[in-house]
Amino acid sequence: MLLTGLKLLLQRLKKYSTVLPALRTFLAMVAVLSLVVTFVVPQPQAQGLTVEKTTAKPNQSGSSQIIGGIPTRITWEATVGNDEEVKEITLVFPEGTALGEGAANRVTVLEGSTRLEVPQTNTITSEQTNIVFDNPVGSGLLIRVEMSYVALPEETGEYTITGTYIDGTGTDITLDESPAISVISFTTVQKIQHWLDQQPWVESWNSVLFLKIFLNPQLIVSSVPTLFKGWLRSLGLVLFGFPLAIPIGLAVSFLRMAKFRVVRFFAAIYVNVIRGTPLFLQIYIAFFGLPFLGVKLDSYVLGVLVLAMNSSAYLAEIFRAGIQSIHKGQFEASASLGMNPMQTMFSVILPQTVRRVIPTATSEFILLYKDTSLLAAVGVMEQMMFAKSMVASTGNMTPYIVSACYYLLVTLPLTKIIAEFEKKLAAAEGHGEVLTSKKKKRRFFGDMGARETLEAAIGDSGSLVPGENSTANSTARGPANSTASGPKNKDLR
Amino acid sequence: MSQRSKVLSLITALILAMSLVLVGCNGNNGGNGNNSDNGDAPVKTITAGVLTVGSDCDYPPFIELDGDQPAGYEFELLNAIGDEIGLTVEYLAPQNFDTILASVASGTKMDVGVSSFTINDERKQLVNFTTPYFDSNQAVVAMKTAPYTKAMDFNGLTVGAQSGTTGADWVRENLTNAGTVLKEYNQASELMAALNAGDIQGAFFDEPVAAEYVAKLYTDSQIVESIPTGEQYGISVSKDNPELLDAINKAMVTIKKNGTFDKIFLKYFPELTPPSLGA
Repeated sequence: MLLTGLKLLLQRLKKYSTVLPALRTFLAMVAVLSLVVTFVVPQPQAQGLTVEKTTAKPNQSGSSQIIGGIPTRITWEATVGNDEEVKEITLVFPEGTALGEGAANRVTVLEGSTRLEVPQTNTITSEQTNIVFDNPVGSGLLIRVEMSYVALPEETGEYTITGTYIDGTGTDITLDESPAISVISFTTVQKIQHWLDQQPWVESWNSVLFLKIFLNPQLIVSSVPTLFKGWLRSLGLVLFGFPLAIPIGLAVSFLRMAKFRVVRFFAAIYVNVIRGTPLFLQIYIAFFGLPFLGVKLDSYVLGVLVLAMNSSAYLAEIFRAGIQSIHKGQFEASASLGMNPMQTMFSVILPQTVRRVIPTATSEFILLYKDTSLLAAVGVMEQMMFAKSMVASTGNMTPYIVSACYYLLVTLPLTKIIAEFEKKLAAAEGHGEVLTSKKKKRRFFGDMGARETLEAAIGDSGSLVPGENSTANSTARGPANSTASGPKNKDLR
Repeated sequence: MSQRSKVLSLITALILAMSLVLVGCNGNNGGNGNNSDNGDAPVKTITAGVLTVGSDCDYPPFIELDGDQPAGYEFELLNAIGDEIGLTVEYLAPQNFDTILASVASGTKMDVGVSSFTINDERKQLVNFTTPYFDSNQAVVAMKTAPYTKAMDFNGLTVGAQSGTTGADWVRENLTNAGTVLKEYNQASELMAALNAGDIQGAFFDEPVAAEYVAKLYTDSQIVESIPTGEQYGISVSKDNPELLDAINKAMVTIKKNGTFDKIFLKYFPELTPPSLGA
């Protein structure tokens, strides 16, 4: 275009060549130069089909990596160039690609963000995907192909999808190389899973629906390392939260026993409001409400704080019951020795209290540990969250079962410790009789009656139904006043 | 009576009571089966004559709770389909999105799952989908004060999506920088609340829902970019109940032909073209 225009101009100018020889030379030079430019420098030719992206769906839960040899879903997108048409696309998979069960293509054609109905026929094999459009796809449209259940090669590497397309004129054109997909080879976990896949006993095990859904061997193998990360995070939540709750709880328990009615009143409100509302609700209020007040905290830190606040109210009541269970005579004796109330509390009463509250406080620790799972609902990455996303991506319940085992890993030994401590406590306090009568019940209901024993030891609150054995169960959170009733000291003398 | 025998008799009584309840349930089921045989309903559903629906009821304008009753495009569409088949549409209490498909697949709790489910090949292995009734895309929402201009700007940031959604999948597949943290929420409303609380920098979910939220409820936020995916919503039906799938697809053709569908569609999306529903 430009060249012909220039030639025309030159021809016309020839008439005036005598007048303007200098201009003529100049124009001739321009013409030559433009010729050179046209042939030497490659023009950005209108691309028939531009590959926009090639991605693959991470195929291991809890990670963003794509593992070779395991089915994934490849998404390929390309735009049709201006004044171009595309009749047929062939995408070639890297060598070593395999197809999983149910492999299929899903072809979407979009104009801007509007989906168009574009009839086409497509096939997928382990070598390539072929899409033939009934009518050529016009310029500017986005073609999106999702290839599901395609397993990329097993070796670690960067893989590209190559291919060809046929344009409106029927010419076969090679596609630009697509962005590479990073694939890693089997990790140890996958190697074990792969080995399990081939075992006949695994196959017959998984043929039972219950075992497949709840105790899938392959998923147990992948859950254990993934959930371990979550287990550490959950444990962290409670290991920070609980020590924080102890001083707050102790302070509140003192306020609950203060001389001034007003102080007692406010402390009672704190304890009763927190114990009278579900922790779940408190978490929601803290996570969705506080930010509106301008309080912006890391969600993990906020999680620790909410757990500490919640637990402090329960601990306050445990401590109060413990302190009040110490016989009045102890206070009187200390006073007669000339101790002031502060000295009495810290050197006489509290040391005795600590021993008595340890089993109940440990139960509270167990409860709090299990309650960390509630934080999953607000997006704190902890064990339940890891398990949930594994279940969501696999549609199998096994990660929940593995998760349960991780919780038990902490709660069972602690329960045992409580039981041992109670025995010692009972021996020290010298009322073995109570224990023997308890023992019978234990044989029937298991070995978890920490709170019961303390109740019996420090006074009968009457709130525990015999048989509500498991303090390691969140239902033991019970009514707001379960330990609040006054101790009667009757077993302690 | 000694303490132990008291406990024992209590347990025995409990077991007896439970077995009675179980027998009772079986009896009821038998009755229902007979009813449907009598021709009260042309297709078999969990409760005869009733189409039991599982939904998260938190995805405006598709389905949301208006007071304690669901409302929205999908709600009206299902009512029209129910009328056509001759089933009363009843909703279970709002379900978590990521559990609905598994419940539908088990075929014991709900007949259909309706929560703007994008049809894809992975989900098709679990359940059947009806003819698509809506074309959708993904979108990323951020606060208006945030500097982001496109979806890939969020690569390496903390972002949120609803658990089990195609939005969550998109983030995992495309935002591959090591720094990216994906927080998953049960409900779309929690996702938006978390964005406004500053817990996440961007929220990834379906574009029509994002548009609804930023226009009405969270006006401090905006859609940063629409991500064209051209995904389509279908009603999920258990693979064990192909008759119900057929009945719903046929009903969709009928309401498309008699204009009911277009009326419902245009009420909610006046600027869009109603899909063909295979009619």
